[in-house]
Amino acid sequence: MTEELHLAGQDSDGESEEVVLTPAELIERLEQAWMNEKFAPELLESKPEIVECVMEQLDHMEENLKRAKKEDLKISIHRMEMERIRYVLSSYLRCRLMKIEKFFPHVLEKEKTRPEGEPSSLSPEEFAFAKEYMAHTETYLKNVALKHMPPNLQKVDLLRAVPKPDLDSYVFLRVKERQENILVEPEAEEQKDYVIDLEEGSQHLIRYRTIAPLVASGAVHLI
Amino acid sequence: MFCEKAMELVRELHRAPEGQLPAFNEDGIRQVLEEMKALYEQNQSDVNEARSDGRSDLIPTIKFRHCSLLRNRRCTVAYLYDRLLRIRALRWEYGSVLPSALRFHMSAEEMEWFNQYKKSLATYMRSLGGAEGLDITQDMKPPKSLYIEVRCLKDYGEFEVDDGTSVLLKKNSQHFLPRWKCEQLIRQGVLEHVLS
Amino acid sequence: MSEAYFRVESGALGPEENFLSLDDILMSHEKLPVRTETPMPRLGTFFPEWGAGAGPDRALPQGSKLELPLWLAKGLFDKKRRILSVELPKIYQQGWRTVFSADANVVDLHKMGPHFYGFGSQLLHFDSPENADISQSLLQTFIGRFRRIMDSSQNAYNEDTSALVARLDDMERGLFQTGQKGLNGFQCWEKGQASQITASSLVQNYKKRKFTDMED
Repeated sequence: MTEELHLAGQDSDGESEEVVLTPAELIERLEQAWMNEKFAPELLESKPEIVECVMEQLDHMEENLKRAKKEDLKISIHRMEMERIRYVLSSYLRCRLMKIEKFFPHVLEKEKTRPEGEPSSLSPEEFAFAKEYMAHTETYLKNVALKHMPPNLQKVDLLRAVPKPDLDSYVFLRVKERQENILVEPEAEEQKDYVIDLEEGSQHLIRYRTIAPLVASGAVHLI
Repeated sequence: MFCEKAMELVRELHRAPEGQLPAFNEDGIRQVLEEMKALYEQNQSDVNEARSDGRSDLIPTIKFRHCSLLRNRRCTVAYLYDRLLRIRALRWEYGSVLPSALRFHMSAEEMEWFNQYKKSLATYMRSLGGAEGLDITQDMKPPKSLYIEVRCLKDYGEFEVDDGTSVLLKKNSQHFLPRWKCEQLIRQGVLEHVLS
Repeated sequence: MSEAYFRVESGALGPEENFLSLDDILMSHEKLPVRTETPMPRLGTFFPEWGAGAGPDRALPQGSKLELPLWLAKGLFDKKRRILSVELPKIYQQGWRTVFSADANVVDLHKMGPHFYGFGSQLLHFDSPENADISQSLLQTFIGRFRRIMDSSQNAYNEDTSALVARLDDMERGLFQTGQKGLNGFQCWEKGQASQITASSLVQNYKKRKFTDMED
């Protein structure tokens, strides 16, 4: 299968453009997004275009399989490939949902206060899911407990009750594009901040907060 | 001392091995709410007295009760929230139909939350494109082969495998079946994935 | 362990506990020695050893030395110590700190805790002049013990680990478990079992249990 796929993307100036990908490149992008999402402590930017294209790809493969002769040996191979892709996609989406549920008030707050032009961490469907999750949970707590409590104690601020993602957790990464002068902030008061360069292909163990923008831009990959 | 009942709720849940859902302690919740009511009323009365009779010496006592009220609230909310997390896990590990023994452990409101969660999840999954969306509660393990050996752990009946063909799943029977079809039954404990 | 159940973790090692964390609630139930700096009317009944019924208001007298749970001590404490002042539990004092610095590995932190690090970190809220020493001691103690915990968690495969974890505090046990999970996962992968579909652990556990309440 060598058809090309058209993926809405951004070039280095942040301008929207259509990127043309082979199926293999698409799957590579999916796997990258999957790994990043798995290892990042916070919910990353949503990639609805990748999800959509992969789903289309899977549909396409299913169609081809239906048309193929039953005895065709290629069927097994293509089915395996489909299963693999479905596994990666499912795992990626599961990981996102888990983070959405885990950090739901913060995820929604971030979306509410998102400056215009900044890409969203939530797809429209994930946003709907998150809002419903919040509403159901708030209503539940109110009805079962909070409304039976003394008047001045009936409000619990879920933004404060539910912990935020820990952006200071450490992550492993591999450098895709050389970076210079990355400022590493000290952890303790006595330490000073310092500057490092990240060589292409090198691997590091570093605090997520320091390199979060580099994950978003694709300059580094989490491993 | 105050907040003993609230602590009991927390301990009971903490003791349950990872993820298991003990029976909903309705009585416990009720007792904590009653204690909160009593504390609040005592505080209201003391606050009035402090104002009208200038008894500022009551303030530490009022604070003491207020701390206890906050503590009771925290324990209650944490108890209820942790149970929701366990109930959420049931959807992912058991599927959308829960065995009656488990439902017996849930309050009516918890059941409603579960149903709402199920529905939200289904809506989300359907939206993922294609004809029926993508069931992301499947494909929980990376696939190694297309077909797998399974042993049946309990009588299940007819199970459709391909267009038309089906197998009879009787306890202890073994079959060589397509992996993706079996996954759900394995997770539910009907089949066992046998490794060669 | 249920993979789909992600409970609220402890925040006790950070600046503030996590409101919804069951671990933190249990940790903050542990007691510490305090001294009341003002009488507390109408509470004497809870502390009969301090003279319930003594005085018209059944007050807990000023200057009473007693043990209160951390949550209560935190709530009543202020920098001016108008309601109470707090004493450091012995294991966080100079004497024990010296023991830890000599050899952190010999100490049974489960007995001393079981939330040794969490509780110790939260103690820093009480503005003790020894705070800097306490935090250093907590850190160094952990560093001293960490190596052994990591080694044993990575080497104990398929054995009874109760002896190894007996003297670990709660946080260390969590670390040990994480290490074990990694080890078991690796072994599982090596044996080719990583792709084996299994019944969810929840399902397996529910099967084993007897629902005795259903038989009533």
